[in-house]
Amino acid sequence: MSEAILSLSGVRVAYGRIEAVRGVDLTVGRGAFVGVIGSNGAGKTSLMRAISGVLRPAGGTISFDGADVTGQKSHQMVARGLAMVPEGRMVFADQSVRDNLVLGAYSRIGKDDAGIAADIDKVLGLFPRLSERIDQLAGTLSGGEQQMLAIARGLVSRPKLLVIDELSLGLAPKILDLLFPVLTALNKEGLSILLVEQMASYALAVTERTYVMENGRVILDGPSAQVAADPRVLDAYLGRRGAA
Amino acid sequence: MEAIVQYLLTGLSAGSVYGLIALGFYVMWSAAKAVNFTYGDVFMLGGVGTVVLMELGLPLPVAAATAIAGAAVVGAIVERVFVRPFNREANSIGWMLTTIAVGIMIESSTTATYGPLGRPLPTPLVEHPIRIGGSGIYPQELLLPVAAIAATFALEFFYKRTVLGRAMRAVSFNRVAAGLVGIDADRITLLAFAIAGGLGAFAGFLVAPVVQASASMGVIVGLKGFMVAIIAGIANARGVVIVGILYGVAEKLIEGFLSTAARDAIGFTLMILLLLLFPQGLFGRAEVRKV
Repeated sequence: MSEAILSLSGVRVAYGRIEAVRGVDLTVGRGAFVGVIGSNGAGKTSLMRAISGVLRPAGGTISFDGADVTGQKSHQMVARGLAMVPEGRMVFADQSVRDNLVLGAYSRIGKDDAGIAADIDKVLGLFPRLSERIDQLAGTLSGGEQQMLAIARGLVSRPKLLVIDELSLGLAPKILDLLFPVLTALNKEGLSILLVEQMASYALAVTERTYVMENGRVILDGPSAQVAADPRVLDAYLGRRGAA
Repeated sequence: MEAIVQYLLTGLSAGSVYGLIALGFYVMWSAAKAVNFTYGDVFMLGGVGTVVLMELGLPLPVAAATAIAGAAVVGAIVERVFVRPFNREANSIGWMLTTIAVGIMIESSTTATYGPLGRPLPTPLVEHPIRIGGSGIYPQELLLPVAAIAATFALEFFYKRTVLGRAMRAVSFNRVAAGLVGIDADRITLLAFAIAGGLGAFAGFLVAPVVQASASMGVIVGLKGFMVAIIAGIANARGVVIVGILYGVAEKLIEGFLSTAARDAIGFTLMILLLLLFPQGLFGRAEVRKV
């Protein structure tokens, strides 16, 4: 198990009596690029919220980087090296781009300011458009720029695993063509990535391994190429035979 | 003319108290999106606590500092025990019931132990009034607007320039996102209530020499401070203090030209009308957000 950065076993998430995630097993190996696809309401976001500590799972266990982290809160998960780019970006709209990035390294502020500055320079190298807007309020950025900022903010925390929930949400294909190569490059440098994506074709193209969720369960998983060739996936997510 | 100067001066002083209390409501609302209705009583603890500690023999500055620190702890306890567990869901309003109840408990237990009557809090600043034209005002009263303005700037500095302050703004803007960058939102909220508690008690300590320290001194003032915060839009520090001061001045003018009895009726009517006209509050901001 020690080669996995993240592993879930039987994880359940419930909102009151409604179960959104009904027992999911999932593993992300160290340095892997793993995708989770599925339709709206399949439980992907709930699962990510449980992994990142935003929600407490109703059952099952989550281990991260060799430790049982079930029920840990999000700020504790960040300290352990998990960064999540949440659905809807959630940038701090009333603060500048720079201040957003600095907050990304919250636990190191005042202790390692030189390191933070270096990390910010590095992420600005990945997203040059952010350096042009560095002193603007984050709320004035376009959707694509906000997504860049959300990813950059996550990276500044020096994560071992980057979780991205709905990268493509509301973004133009042109922006996605900018974002995906950055993720691939980060993964090549050794960062483990877990990507949740409604646009299955994008996710299947960049990830090594894919989980398919439906109704709170994983119905299929395997190497992305294999998943992409599965008739169920072709039907439901890749739009063959006219399905949406 | 002299009368108007007098009303303006005392109004400025009374309004500063509303402003300081509204500032505390703003700090707590920003962090928790909940209203702490014990706040008028936390304010009272600043005045009453200082009087009691001085009667025990402590010098004024030590007594005041101890009372303020104690009120900060009370603020933190209220958050941890009576707000947080009742504010778990987005639409929770359990904190309303619990804080109103605890506020009544603080007030009645103070009445039972300290007594129902007000007691003086002697400071050198209420010995001789200053004469301005034909009007008179105690230096202590002039201290209140100074304190309100200083607290506003201190708070703005805290929110903009300090790590904790920026974390507090992040929590205020989006609790989930704050957690995801490593901020312990619960701890920050606790801290916000402690800061507000200290601020409220500071206001109670400052005004006690003028109005006497009594168990009930915070009830109406706390309510008015809350109202001021709502009218201002609970969105920025300056706004709530400005509205607080204006409301204090308006009250004194009504008192002076009409009657004390008319003060609250007209004052509250004015506030209700303002709320009708500006549902977001006078300084309520349009959110900087692009989706």
